Amino acid sequence: MRPLDWVVLVGSLASIIAYGLYRGRGSNTVDRYLLAGKSMPWYAMALSIMATQASAITFISTTGQSYVDGMRFVQFYFGMPLAMVALSATAVPIFHRAKVYTAYEYLESRFDAKTRALASAIFLMQRGLSVGLTFYAPAIVLSVIFAWPDRVTTLIIGITVVLYTVTGGIRTVTWTDVQQMIIILFGLVVALAMIFVLLPRQVSFLDAMHLAGAAGKLNAVNFHFDWNDRYNLWSGLIGGMFLALSYFGCDQSQVQRYLTGKSIAQSKLSLLFTAMAKIPMQFFILFIGAMVFVFYIFEPAPMVFQRLEYNRIQQPELRARYEPIAARYEDAFARRKAEALAIVEARHSHDARAESDAIAGYRRAQQDVDAARRQGAALVEATGGEKGFRDTNYIFLSFVTKYLPAGIVGLVIAVILAATMSSSSGEINSLATVSVVDIYKRHFVKQASDRHYLTASRVATAFWGAYAVAFAGLGKHLGSLIEAVNIVGSLFYGSLLGVFVLAFFFKRVSGTGAFVGMIAGEAAIFTAFLFTGISFLWYNVIGCLVVIATGMAVSYVSDAPPQKREGSF
Amino acid sequence: MPPDPREMPDEPPPFLGTWPRVYAGVAVYLALLIALCYAFTRAFA
Repeated sequence: MRPLDWVVLVGSLASIIAYGLYRGRGSNTVDRYLLAGKSMPWYAMALSIMATQASAITFISTTGQSYVDGMRFVQFYFGMPLAMVALSATAVPIFHRAKVYTAYEYLESRFDAKTRALASAIFLMQRGLSVGLTFYAPAIVLSVIFAWPDRVTTLIIGITVVLYTVTGGIRTVTWTDVQQMIIILFGLVVALAMIFVLLPRQVSFLDAMHLAGAAGKLNAVNFHFDWNDRYNLWSGLIGGMFLALSYFGCDQSQVQRYLTGKSIAQSKLSLLFTAMAKIPMQFFILFIGAMVFVFYIFEPAPMVFQRLEYNRIQQPELRARYEPIAARYEDAFARRKAEALAIVEARHSHDARAESDAIAGYRRAQQDVDAARRQGAALVEATGGEKGFRDTNYIFLSFVTKYLPAGIVGLVIAVILAATMSSSSGEINSLATVSVVDIYKRHFVKQASDRHYLTASRVATAFWGAYAVAFAGLGKHLGSLIEAVNIVGSLFYGSLLGVFVLAFFFKRVSGTGAFVGMIAGEAAIFTAFLFTGISFLWYNVIGCLVVIATGMAVSYVSDAPPQKREGSF
Repeated sequence: MPPDPREMPDEPPPFLGTWPRVYAGVAVYLALLIALCYAFTRAFA
């Protein structure tokens, strides 16, 4: 980092925090602190929803995911617009009219207290784990740049986030998200433009896309259905829709965003705008990862992008094992570069046969590069590195810090840190809301002043910040962070979605049926996770269907009359 | 006391007249995006 980078970084972060605190002033009642006094316009909610999703993980891990696995991850988002339409037509008006602080509060009015408590507990468990991962992502940034230990950086960022989230509540969270999204979009465009500037002069935009495509990196859509394939059109449309329904319909960190809306229409518009913008945005981020791949065809890429581990396996005592792998990697790398240049030359001279031959050689070289990288990762793992070591999360940052000019590096790092702050602050805010509204106020202190609950909300915010920091270290054991976050979510979301589907559409299902259904749903999901190879996107479908089936069966057998029905269809 | 659904009326959308039309528009948009992604994949495969 050069002085200009520090100026951009510190200036960007300071402006975000200052603006957020400015917009969050007056959050001196529970309603204002947790729901912004229901005053938010649709565009602020939409950008806030998108910014919460676009955490540091989005930049660090999604780009690396594309570098390694291509763009097929974009299919994961295909189900989102369908989910947003369904939620706009159902959940948004129901939650608004029920005048609730949390989604789980509604479950008590529809079912009973134990169903609300179980749903709240599942949310707290799931989101509590995820927020730790959100904190861990920027720790990677600083460990790459400064070689600081992950724990120290996690602690520093955690304390900063907790301080301003405790002070400003959701209004601060939302408005910092808006500002952050503007910086993110600007940063993305600049990063992609810089990649094209840094490519060799003879490699055009179209050449770069052909090189990425020939290596299988532009595989945005795959129609082939396979239960065990994580990303194809069908898992994206169906599994992705269920995950999005769960996330935006049952996860308080998202529900709380659109509960701050001025009206039902404003909240609907915020979800539909998010639905329309999310796929192009993810496509763009994945495309950046694919172009980083093309960039590293022509520039020497380290065999292992995690610098500390790469340095370690080059130590003299490991040289005998490292050098043969490094030699294979360098040979394959050189062949791939030569074949890539041959492809470009053949394209420019319109020599189809030469291009076809060069592509075949290029693909063979790419397979050898991949094989050498796998061997390098195995060496890291075998010599004391993390089990299942992957360097996906380090690829984009290695590129940014080594090749981007002064100022731009600071901007990209600012985007990543700001994204972390905003995402984690929203998650902490929602965790605190559920802790206070669904647990503390409902079960422990039922009658107290507004000031008392406001203080409790601030204390809960601080607690969840500390909890997130404590669990952030789990991230290093979970490979690609973007997948880890979604896998953790999928372990719990199916049950939550199932109980809300029962609440909205199945009038005869009782509270006991819903409660037992949720437990059965969780059992089914963990069975699928632990004992089958089924892709995680299907866990939401499985969990949801098991909850519905069990809930109906239990209600039918027990023949208990439904207790309360208001707000359902 | 149950909330009165009439307290918060569902306003019409600012475009396309009704919400079902807006929802259909989103579905068409999704189909278009998938078609574009497929064409993109085929073009550079």
